Amino acid sequence: MAAGLKTIISLSFVLAIGFLLVILSCALFKQYLPLLVVATYVLAPLPNWICGRCANPDDFVESAGNAVVDFGRFCTGFLVLMGIALPVVLAHSMLITYTAMVMSIIGGVLIYGTIISFGMFFQEEQEF
Amino acid sequence: MSEERLWKFKKPEWMNSAVARSAGVYAAGALFSLSFFLLLDAAVFSHSKLNGSDPPIHIAFIDWLPLIFSSLGMLIINSIEKTRLSADSFSYSGSGVAWKARVVLFLGFASLAGGMAGGVTVLVLKYVVPGVVWPGLWMGVANVLANGGVMMSSVVLWVSQNMEDEYSYNLAL
Repeated sequence: MAAGLKTIISLSFVLAIGFLLVILSCALFKQYLPLLVVATYVLAPLPNWICGRCANPDDFVESAGNAVVDFGRFCTGFLVLMGIALPVVLAHSMLITYTAMVMSIIGGVLIYGTIISFGMFFQEEQEF
Repeated sequence: MSEERLWKFKKPEWMNSAVARSAGVYAAGALFSLSFFLLLDAAVFSHSKLNGSDPPIHIAFIDWLPLIFSSLGMLIINSIEKTRLSADSFSYSGSGVAWKARVVLFLGFASLAGGMAGGVTVLVLKYVVPGVVWPGLWMGVANVLANGGVMMSSVVLWVSQNMEDEYSYNLAL
């Protein structure tokens, strides 16, 4: 119980740092496009989750269920790389500076890592 | 099973695990995203103030066309049920499903290769022949890279979908 509480506190701490970095990368340069990174990473686990609910993973005879799960994974992979690629695209065309790019990428990775670890902890608790 | 094998080298064991399979699907999505954003980067670059090409060259619908064809080919190739392809002797060939699957698969591969060829064509005709120099040449190079990325992505997706059969086979036994 104490370990779980510690994890939640540290995870929320990391999440706050991630949001701080992304918002700072926007506010320091008065250019609010990097906020899209947050939207991308919040959306990223969604296709995986929806398709996981749609399909029945225990059904090994019918592979159509697996195709839906695969589609969800494909979309998640797309969105995760989008979170990194978006600031790079913006920085390459000088819409944001390279400092803002690095800050928003690090912040985005922290945010997404937090979301993923939260999901893993919840899954572990569901099993037992 | 082992007598049907054609190649000397066996598929390594770790490739049959579920983890490697889902990692392959994630990687395919990431590769597709990478190629899409390469071309998007070229489009954003072409309308930013950095694009100093003279006379001005912009990304138009022509530049997107190869990527559209590549993506269409990828969609076709990976929508086909792979088990229908190997059924040449019995049950499926009666209604000609294997034959149909091969025709559709051929269309998909043709579309993919056509997209790649189109990317090279756009690079040569629109950028190399008029003599565009480097910052502008990126728009053509990104086109080729994007189509190559879609191709790689569909290869990765194909391989990781073929893993599935072995995996479920092992589980069923």
